Amino acid sequence: MAGSFKSRARHFIYLPYLIFLSVFLVWPGIYVFRAAFEKNSAERHPMVEAVTGQYRASFIYSLELSAVSAAIGLFIGSLVAIAIVRLENVRVLRSLVVGYSSVAANMGGIPLAFAFLSAFGMQGLATRLLREINIDLIGWGFRITDFWGIVLVYLYFQIPLMTLILVPAIDGLRRTWHEVAQSLGATANQYWRFVALPILTPALLGGFLLLIANAFAAYATAFALSSGGSRLVPVQIRFFLQGETITGKTNLGYAMAAWMVLLTLVLVIGFQTLVRRSERWRQ
Amino acid sequence: MKPGRLAWWLVIWVVGLFYLIPMLSMTRFAFQRIPVIKLSFNNVFSKWTIEPLLTTFSDSGFRSSAMLSIWLAIATAVLTLLLLVPTMTIAHLRSPRMRRVIEISAVLPFVVPAIALVVGFAGAFRDTIPQLIRSPFGMVPLYVITALPFTHRTLENGLASLDLRTLIDASRSLGASWIRTVLFVIVPNMRASIATASFLALTVVLGEFTIASLLLKNTLPLYLAYAQGQNPQGSFAVGLVLVVLSAGFVTAANRFGKRVVS
Repeated sequence: MAGSFKSRARHFIYLPYLIFLSVFLVWPGIYVFRAAFEKNSAERHPMVEAVTGQYRASFIYSLELSAVSAAIGLFIGSLVAIAIVRLENVRVLRSLVVGYSSVAANMGGIPLAFAFLSAFGMQGLATRLLREINIDLIGWGFRITDFWGIVLVYLYFQIPLMTLILVPAIDGLRRTWHEVAQSLGATANQYWRFVALPILTPALLGGFLLLIANAFAAYATAFALSSGGSRLVPVQIRFFLQGETITGKTNLGYAMAAWMVLLTLVLVIGFQTLVRRSERWRQ
Repeated sequence: MKPGRLAWWLVIWVVGLFYLIPMLSMTRFAFQRIPVIKLSFNNVFSKWTIEPLLTTFSDSGFRSSAMLSIWLAIATAVLTLLLLVPTMTIAHLRSPRMRRVIEISAVLPFVVPAIALVVGFAGAFRDTIPQLIRSPFGMVPLYVITALPFTHRTLENGLASLDLRTLIDASRSLGASWIRTVLFVIVPNMRASIATASFLALTVVLGEFTIASLLLKNTLPLYLAYAQGQNPQGSFAVGLVLVVLSAGFVTAANRFGKRVVS
């Protein structure tokens, strides 16, 4: 690195980007933690209160919802990914499924809630069709606004996201491994169970973590479905920090946000580590 | 057909139906004037109308929030490109280390969920630059941040596929200035990834709800959430338009994205 003015000056070109990130990402992030760790008059520290009692229940509810939707999304999304590889000779299938998956994985928010209300709501089309074949969802106590209802809605973006994560990993499985396994007398199922699955495990686990983080941050869909979603952590944070209202518990809201960042951080680091591991096989 | 293949087809069909049914239900609810209870095989095709959509389009509340969302989306795409294209181009040319720094910083937004980002933003700026919170366009930087992991990846792929050094040397040795080189050599060569990044930014802004909801800005998703009560058919119809629009953007991004790689 030459010390001339010109060579140092060229680093200024990076300044706008770095300043932008500091001001609009790092500073708000720091603000959340500073406000969360500020000791207020309450006897308990906000960071502690945010994970006790009803707020702990809120975190557990959010995490359960995320984990359950991630687990089911992992299972079904993987099946879809394997299916399009197994049915490889049907050309359009792959581009169709991958194409729609990238659309659906980006779906969320208000329109998705509308779609599920009109399908699986009390007066939904799917609810009605299922009743015709004697599957009475409402009679069984299913409500689209309850825990399992929200899980169903989340699956709409969790399944395709998992498919998108897994397809490149499956592509990375080398044909020769399959041939070797076959020539050693392994059946197709044995190959998947003892060769493919262990190699895919990091990608699967990483995908699982990403799916949890994905659902954990989701807010709009649950908000639009309202009632059942009101216990989710983001909705609670909104309650304390919406607009200019002083609830007297703003620190608690920031503390919950800080916990969300910490949990997401753990999930994302786990994801990155596992993805790096799974990429080792792909060269 | 072997039984194994049949099972895999079953997976595809079941999941396909799961993807399709909510969208079809929303379409039917928005555009057919028959309650689900009265629906039967005899009237599946009757009383379809696009009137709910037209009525909503003429609603002034809808118009102002739609215009706001469109302007926010454009502003976000423009700011993203202005911020990223020059910085990333220079980093590619001159400093692998800086390239790595940008790469890591671009995934940081994943770690900060939108709800945490917006409450931190509101808190940090309430006492310093309150105009940013008051004006809806104050949200543009937050949208840029939210879309950053996707837009950065796209532009990164685009830049990696170019022989930047040769292009610039050729342009410079023919006497073009730096600005001319960027505008007339680099940007046209990156048009596929620039288009992709813009489409992704548009998709993020048109669907974003959390940030606008906490800052009480009347964007299109917020309008939909609140109009749902008085005008369910109309807001479901607009919701469907949003779905189709973002599906179009994502598909376009995929198309262009493929051209980037090849």
